[in-house]
Amino acid sequence: MSQTQMMKGILDGCLLAIIRGKEVYGYEMAERLSEYGFGEVSEGTIYPLLMRMQREGLVTSVKKASTAGPKRKYYSLTDKGHEELEAFLERWKRLEKSVNEAIRQETKEGSEGSA
Amino acid sequence: MPELSKESRRFMDDLRLYLLSSGKNEQEIREIAEEIESHLEEAERNGKPIEQVVGESPKEYMEMISNEMKFDKKAWLKYIPLIIFGAISFSVMGQLIDNLRLSYSYALIGGSVFISFIFILLVFGVFKYTASRQVSKVKEFFLIIIPVFVNLILFGGLIFWDMYSELPGFELGVTASMIVGVLLLGMLIWISVWAKTAVLLVMLSAIHVPELLLRMTQLGLEVKLVTNLLLTYLIIGLYMYYTFKKMKKAEAAAG
Repeated sequence: MSQTQMMKGILDGCLLAIIRGKEVYGYEMAERLSEYGFGEVSEGTIYPLLMRMQREGLVTSVKKASTAGPKRKYYSLTDKGHEELEAFLERWKRLEKSVNEAIRQETKEGSEGSA
Repeated sequence: MPELSKESRRFMDDLRLYLLSSGKNEQEIREIAEEIESHLEEAERNGKPIEQVVGESPKEYMEMISNEMKFDKKAWLKYIPLIIFGAISFSVMGQLIDNLRLSYSYALIGGSVFISFIFILLVFGVFKYTASRQVSKVKEFFLIIIPVFVNLILFGGLIFWDMYSELPGFELGVTASMIVGVLLLGMLIWISVWAKTAVLLVMLSAIHVPELLLRMTQLGLEVKLVTNLLLTYLIIGLYMYYTFKKMKKAEAAAG
């Protein structure tokens, strides 16, 4: 898996988590991602991801008028989206555990070896 | 509604052109463009540069969006006959003016369709190239001339081959030829209204109207030929000048 693909997978999961809370539109999602430290990712990256998630039936959208400017597209999770989020969280927990374990063991062994 | 900056406006125009020339569905293009445009507006209000939204490479971003959209086969099936009809209309009108009858070899018809396909692919290729690299209007103009030249050379070769070889074909009577002519002209007018450009009709008039008018004069053959050519170039030149002026005006208004 390339770094971009891995990043996309992680972003997918984060977007699903953001959308789970309440109906949210693109700009808001980008702002939240930035607050969580995804500042390196350009904001527009979320739109192709949302497009795919919508095609796969994970999210659904509705256009609503806004006080500042044109209509906004608000996203919410479908049942399939909720299931996918749960599956992502499971995968992520396992991955996080494995990565932490690998780093902990290897750096410990590394520092023991060098000592 | 707040106005987008010139840079963002240009990006949005290029994105629409890129997706359209990648064969994507017009409705889907409108939807995603609307969403990104609204994001850019909000980002600009908050003082963010366009790079923060679309990244450092507009081309990569356009590709990313394009990859998530399906190829719109239905729309392409609609464009292709339109462009082919546009291409064959020049020859049909020429023949009708010359001897009121249409006669074609099968090779000429098949070849014209094939060349039109190449033309479509080249034009859309150039559109995609210019849209994703944000080239200047002048460079864009010169790049778009390439498919036109390739098309002219291929058509020239095909017509030359057809003229000097005994190829099998068919010939229509005067009434049938006229019906084909009227139908084709109607279709051309419809295409022009649909595409919001008179370029096909202007080119067709530039090639055939001077010839028709000169036929009614008593001028010598050589004078007729030279005047015909000059008038054709004059009409095309005037139309290009008018289009260029209109483009400049639109650019000034946007900027």
